[in-house]
Amino acid sequence: MNIEGLDSSILGPAFAAGLLVLSTHVPLGRQVLQRGIIFIDLAIAQFAGLGVIAAHVMHLDSPGFAVQLMAYGCAVLGAFLLYWCERHWPDAQEAIIGTSFIVAACSGILLLSSSPQAGEHLKELLVGQILWVGYAQLVPVTVIYALVLLLGKFLRSHEHPLLFYLLFAVTVTASVQLVGVYLVFASLIIPALSVRNAGKRGVLLAYGLGAAGYGLGLLGSALFDLPAGAVIVLSLACLGMLVAAIRKVACQVAG
Amino acid sequence: MNGYRKWCLVVSLLMCASQGAYAVVNVFTCEPEWAALAKEVGGDLVKTASATTGLQDVHHIEARPSLIARVRQADLLLCTGAGLEEGWLPVLQRRANNPRIQAGADGYMEAADYLRLLDRPTRIDRSEGDVHARGNPHIQLDPTNIPVIAQALAKRLQVLDSGHAARYQENLSDFLSRWQTALGRWERQARPLQGLPVVVHHNAWVYLINWLELDLVGTLEPKPGLPPTSTHLSQLLEQMERQPAKVIIRSPYQGARASEWLSERTGIPAIMLPTTVGGNEAATDLFGLFDDLVLQLLSVTQ
Repeated sequence: MNIEGLDSSILGPAFAAGLLVLSTHVPLGRQVLQRGIIFIDLAIAQFAGLGVIAAHVMHLDSPGFAVQLMAYGCAVLGAFLLYWCERHWPDAQEAIIGTSFIVAACSGILLLSSSPQAGEHLKELLVGQILWVGYAQLVPVTVIYALVLLLGKFLRSHEHPLLFYLLFAVTVTASVQLVGVYLVFASLIIPALSVRNAGKRGVLLAYGLGAAGYGLGLLGSALFDLPAGAVIVLSLACLGMLVAAIRKVACQVAG
Repeated sequence: MNGYRKWCLVVSLLMCASQGAYAVVNVFTCEPEWAALAKEVGGDLVKTASATTGLQDVHHIEARPSLIARVRQADLLLCTGAGLEEGWLPVLQRRANNPRIQAGADGYMEAADYLRLLDRPTRIDRSEGDVHARGNPHIQLDPTNIPVIAQALAKRLQVLDSGHAARYQENLSDFLSRWQTALGRWERQARPLQGLPVVVHHNAWVYLINWLELDLVGTLEPKPGLPPTSTHLSQLLEQMERQPAKVIIRSPYQGARASEWLSERTGIPAIMLPTTVGGNEAATDLFGLFDDLVLQLLSVTQ
């Protein structure tokens, strides 16, 4: 046990980042599960990464606007591609997503073979570490998420697949830089999975589960001095199983 | 009630006393070799902690809450610099929000600032691989660099903790004389190593090669940081037939596969050498590190 990491100025921004990520990932995760395309976040993140690599190959070095533009641009292009595939081969969408993930990843390796330094930047971009997040970084992400949530709500993204893919691409490109791909996947799938078929009330339960998972994970990582992202993923998974088990028992009792 | 108050007084007095007795300089280092050096120069006047261990690649670290907490409490942040930690140190400094250890403050020191680095690129070209603009940063592997850093570190500690300036000076002279003796011993022992042809996995060994006057005949990575390609490997095999190396060297954090592949095909022994303190069981401090480096290299010449 070790208490020196229990400092609200260390854990606070990380927890805020977690809540922010959950705000969009819980509703999007429910749609991802419904559509049966759970690996789409990995594919989109890889497309965004390809954009970063391309930016470096094109010598758009300065970290910041140009690189971000390429990342979001490639993610959105990927989203268009996946939407087009879904329209033509809806029964094969999961396999197409998996394939596009490895194709994007390998294209990245080939592009990188001439410029390994871009690999460092790619790692920085795709392997965001939640503890490195400061409050200042949360501001642009909050703006992006607010737009995503508003558009999703008013334009009914669950009824329009193209809109869903586009909003999803923008959301994941932002969140993956903040907390990394493992936490993105966990925040997307675990809360949504454990409250499956729970109707309207499920969303609140999923948010609560996610927040508790991030909170306990951060505390655990501080107390036992372990990498924060990995502990949060495990704590989300444990809580998710617990909630799913309780719901199952409750259903049996009621039924 | 009176008894309780007395207790409070006793406890708080004890706490004050213990703080006075243990008012140490908190030294946080990026790499274990500098923590070991700070222990030598600071003795019990400093408390050291290192962000990385001898078994890990310093280019990447996993963020743990205690890491930020320790940098927040640090009075001195001592790192290699020259871009070695650029992937995580700036963000760690920013998150720790500790004005004592920001770049430019007395509490921030980059060892590479005090040395002339090897392998300074004449031009920066991304096609040349993972090249550090300021030169090769793996400076700890030349033992003649260590006294330079030790002196700079002692000066810095004297600025930060002027009340103990004499003690730092004492520790420094003691360390330097022990180091000088050891250095003479290593150079005597290592004489048969002169001109020893070696193959390395990654170009992290230039300072050791330069110090021992080894002969670098090949690198498993075609360019720093890039995985071997088949063309490069076949060229390397061909070269080994013309000009066979005596040993293939890799560091603890590099996978054994590439060097074992080459070893199997050529019959040249592959060894793992520690790159810093804690890199293997023998390298418990700076002296142990170089003892082990010289000993392991000698073992392949026999």
